[in-house]
Amino acid sequence: MKIKVSLLFLIFTMLTIVVYAEEIKSPTSPDLTQLGIEELMEIEVATVYGASKYEQKVTEAPSSVTVITAEEIRKYGYRTLADILRSVRGFYVTYDRNYNYLGSRGFSRPGDYNTRFLLLVDGHRINDNVYDGAYFGTEFIIDVDLIERVEIIRGPGSSLYGTNAFFGVINIITKQGRDFKGTEISGEAGSFDTYKGRLSYGNKFQNGLEILLSGSLYDSKGQRHLFFKEFDDPATNNGVAENADDDQYNSFFTKLSFHDFTLQAAYVSREKVIPTGSWDTVFNNPRTRTTDELSYIDLNYNYDFGRQTNIQARVYYDQYYYKGDYLYDYPPVTLNKDRAWGDWWGGELKLTTKVVEKHLLTLGAEYRDNFRQDQSNYDEDPFCLYLEDTRDSTILAFYLQDEFKILKNLILNAGLRHDHYSTFGGTTNPRLALIFTPFEKTIFKLLYGEAFRAPNAYELYYDDGGISTKSNPDLNPETIKTYELSLEQYLGNNLHISASGFYYKINDLISQQIDPVDNLIMFNNVEDVEAKGFELELDGRWDSGLRGRISYTYQETENRQTGEILTSSPKHLAKLNIIVPVLKEKVFLGIETQYVSKVKTLEGNYASDYFLANLTLFSQNLLKSLETSATVYNLFDEKYGNTGSEEHAQDIIEQDGRSFRIKLTYKF
Amino acid sequence: MFKHLYKVSLFVFSITLIISLCADAEQVKPGEYEVKAAFIYNFAKFIEWPDDSFLDKSSSITMCVIGDDPFGRSIDSIHDKPVKEKKLKVKHIQSVKDIKGCHILFISGSEAKNLPQILKITEGAGILTIGDTGGFAYSGVIINFYLEQNKVNFEINTKAAKRARLQISSKLLKLARIVGE
Repeated sequence: MKIKVSLLFLIFTMLTIVVYAEEIKSPTSPDLTQLGIEELMEIEVATVYGASKYEQKVTEAPSSVTVITAEEIRKYGYRTLADILRSVRGFYVTYDRNYNYLGSRGFSRPGDYNTRFLLLVDGHRINDNVYDGAYFGTEFIIDVDLIERVEIIRGPGSSLYGTNAFFGVINIITKQGRDFKGTEISGEAGSFDTYKGRLSYGNKFQNGLEILLSGSLYDSKGQRHLFFKEFDDPATNNGVAENADDDQYNSFFTKLSFHDFTLQAAYVSREKVIPTGSWDTVFNNPRTRTTDELSYIDLNYNYDFGRQTNIQARVYYDQYYYKGDYLYDYPPVTLNKDRAWGDWWGGELKLTTKVVEKHLLTLGAEYRDNFRQDQSNYDEDPFCLYLEDTRDSTILAFYLQDEFKILKNLILNAGLRHDHYSTFGGTTNPRLALIFTPFEKTIFKLLYGEAFRAPNAYELYYDDGGISTKSNPDLNPETIKTYELSLEQYLGNNLHISASGFYYKINDLISQQIDPVDNLIMFNNVEDVEAKGFELELDGRWDSGLRGRISYTYQETENRQTGEILTSSPKHLAKLNIIVPVLKEKVFLGIETQYVSKVKTLEGNYASDYFLANLTLFSQNLLKSLETSATVYNLFDEKYGNTGSEEHAQDIIEQDGRSFRIKLTYKF
Repeated sequence: MFKHLYKVSLFVFSITLIISLCADAEQVKPGEYEVKAAFIYNFAKFIEWPDDSFLDKSSSITMCVIGDDPFGRSIDSIHDKPVKEKKLKVKHIQSVKDIKGCHILFISGSEAKNLPQILKITEGAGILTIGDTGGFAYSGVIINFYLEQNKVNFEINTKAAKRARLQISSKLLKLARIVGE
């Protein structure tokens, strides 16, 4: 009965929204001809860079793309990149109180440090060279306040980017010096004794030099008491981890541009105390913690020859350092130190040209030298060395993409990339997209793509001498083939519908397994997996500042060997995001809700479905140059949990309840 | 999902209520080519054509679009709009032969291969050429649109303007990126 009433209520509400949306869609276009040139130069139109490695219209990109802007980041109170991605159609995030794991198309594998997503900052690859990990939480290298926009490009991108571009590419475009025009200071405070501060300076000078400098500090005590029923025993503090959820980082970012050159440098060091007693460590002891340190320097040269020819050259040097301290009670109680060092440099050369009529050609070559991919593991006292593995490898790749305007309303986008690895040899990956625009506001995209993910140093060589994990140097790359059909329909000037259906087939998936012989975790090319589903999204934006999107995703995954659904693979995802102007151009309400259906856990149980709502009140220019926001996360204090991995005793790890944050930003 | 239905409905309902109470939606978001059309209208105000370009004082300023038309209906907003004592008229032309009667010529990206041929006709003829294709300004088109950070910007080839005997106001030059050849 209650369900029926609720259903009716929901239908009624939806109808109200539709009717209301119709009403808003007033036929009177603004008279742009009344605006001056300066005003016209401030109006935004939608483009995307990451889908083809050059700026193009979202509607012509050979992928299904979502763009999240700086404005949304501020108005929805996003704290991390994980917060941003959680709001995106078809994406979901799992948190194990150390790292955030991204899921898409029903895939979120245990022990996968986001290796199946390629993370880029202004086109620079962020995934490290030991774990191939992409970090989305507090360990992400860029402060979200410095993000101009996030491009989420769904589907395989190996034909342009090589490894990791398996389920998608996430390209972060950072702000420019001119966006600051001076100094900006920002401070925030939130639940769990969380504080963050940021100081930034940016400007563009008369001589063409543009500069941006920014530093951030973050400190959170986290949850003081965390209860885990798996440890509910007097010997382990009755399952309560006390003061073991600290999270700290400091990060730095700088960008210098002069004419066609851009020099960027970034650094982050994040330390997280692990409260879950993962990897069989001593429960309720804050000495078990990890530190992730990433840094890079990147020089980019971009030259326009005219006649639609552009050349881009990039050289970079990256460093990654991971430090894990794990406390074991063998006995005696011993600190085990797990370390990884990655050093790599590389270069890329890319040419975009329209030498032939109707063909926009992109040609590129990339070289990456992983001159350090080291891992070690040892006990501190008494000293005992379990692992000392030193590796290096190189990758050389060539790629080619052609955007062919066959007809006025038909584009064929075809790309191919060959990667040669010093470790396992070569792999070639194509992508084909047919983009058909039968009517001005209707776009069909038919997409086919292949991608690979090379086994990383951790999966290949990590062996801690029988404590938890053993190596498997014979791993091969896993591969994916994807088919997708999408429709984009613009309704009037404000509303936009996206619909897409997809079918993904993965072979030789590298999966974490437990060898029954010795009970050790190892990686194997074992599984073949299939995923299919569809997505629907309606988004709207109006000049008053009102904007919103509502989406639903259905996804179904199947392990071809067992016929079973994958773990951490929700069938239904629903999202609703709305920004409501309360006081014209000054005060806004950011409302966000997410629904994730139940998921299977590693032990074959189910983590129940959950519904989250976040609410942000945002103001700008109430007082000159001051921006304020106040956010309630998990407004209804929903109790929910995410699935654990093999290293966790917890099958389900409980997540945060209701929490708060206030933030002030001042420009001078 | 049913478990949450009640909560979801209540939430969605309250949001709807909030929107209805707060939102004042009086304007709609313009498309890229509506913005570009408005730019072109503005350009017409800031440019002086040579006297021999117009048959008499009251005749209209003719804007022509050559090649695939990216504007669609967004060009309607500037058709028949007044510019000083004149009116802006928009027409589509198919062949380079029809260029002669135009004061403003928008060259679509589809005409890249015919560009040298088109520019040969417009040069010295007092025609303001406009494009929105990378490299057009270098090649001799007077004003060329480009996108930066999702915003419409424009570059001006001052030499080409001089050759076309057009006077561009300093206000326009200040806002543009100046391009040499």
